[in-house]
Amino acid sequence: MSTNQVKSCPIPTRVLTLKDWSQLPDCYSQTPGGTLFSTTPGGTRIIYDRKFLLDCRNSPLARTPPCCLPQIPGVTCPATHPVSKLQDVKEEVEEEEKDVADDNQFEMDI
Amino acid sequence: MATSEPKAPETDEQQCDSQVTNQEQYIKHPLQNRWALWYFKNDKSKSWTENLRLISKFDTVEDFWALYNHIQQPSKLVYGCDYCLFKDGIKPMWEDDRNKLGGRWLMTLNKVQRHNDLDRYWMETLLCLVGESFDEASDDVCGAVVNVRHKADKIAIWTSNCQNREAIMKIGETYKDLLSIPSKAMLGYQSHDDTSSKSGSTTKNMYSI
Repeated sequence: MSTNQVKSCPIPTRVLTLKDWSQLPDCYSQTPGGTLFSTTPGGTRIIYDRKFLLDCRNSPLARTPPCCLPQIPGVTCPATHPVSKLQDVKEEVEEEEKDVADDNQFEMDI
Repeated sequence: MATSEPKAPETDEQQCDSQVTNQEQYIKHPLQNRWALWYFKNDKSKSWTENLRLISKFDTVEDFWALYNHIQQPSKLVYGCDYCLFKDGIKPMWEDDRNKLGGRWLMTLNKVQRHNDLDRYWMETLLCLVGESFDEASDDVCGAVVNVRHKADKIAIWTSNCQNREAIMKIGETYKDLLSIPSKAMLGYQSHDDTSSKSGSTTKNMYSI
């Protein structure tokens, strides 16, 4: 759990001024300069293009890891160092305990 | 005490105002689907399902990045590990009801690509899925898998029915285009049925582009 203060900044936005009507996209589901947030013409599907998704990557909301992220060495936390064997053993036991809890979660998800 | 008291509420109010303004900037963007990220570790002492762990679920763009930004890239995983991103409710296995009639678009990467392309292709694959890049054919998408293997890494998009030719071709063509995969590099689609019952090391392609 990191409690470091993270410098926040607003979600990036862009304001585009069109010089000509021809700059408008052909499709109703697109916004000028790249699709931001829209649904398909039937209004049924939320789509995002690559550029918009990438722009959100450094959003202040994406800088905190999700809560309840399981501790998996080498995946969600650094791989364990071979320096402290005792600690490794302790972590393995914790891992196993978590596994049991996760198994229950799987059942719930079906 | 008495003189400082009236000032206090004023400061509180100002703080409240600024908090409201900040919160407006912090609106999350909803996704069409809720997704679950799974991790598979090849531990021979355990069964296949025991080795499969749910990492986290998300249903907004920001929560997707919050997860992605805090987990290891595929190229840094140990050999034999997988990441699977599937729609909530679909387990990343052939046996799931939504997978059993399906198949996958499969991309095999060589060792050079492990350094150059694996992480990039996997991220682009995730963006295609959460952004619903395949129009109506997105409904056919079940998930995606990256296999990190010593011999050759693989990335695949799983779809729900290997007979839905139109949706499968739309997904394959769009995917190849969005990832800028050279047109001479062939992508093959294989049914899970064929993959699970294969006798040799190769599975026949039902479709290819």
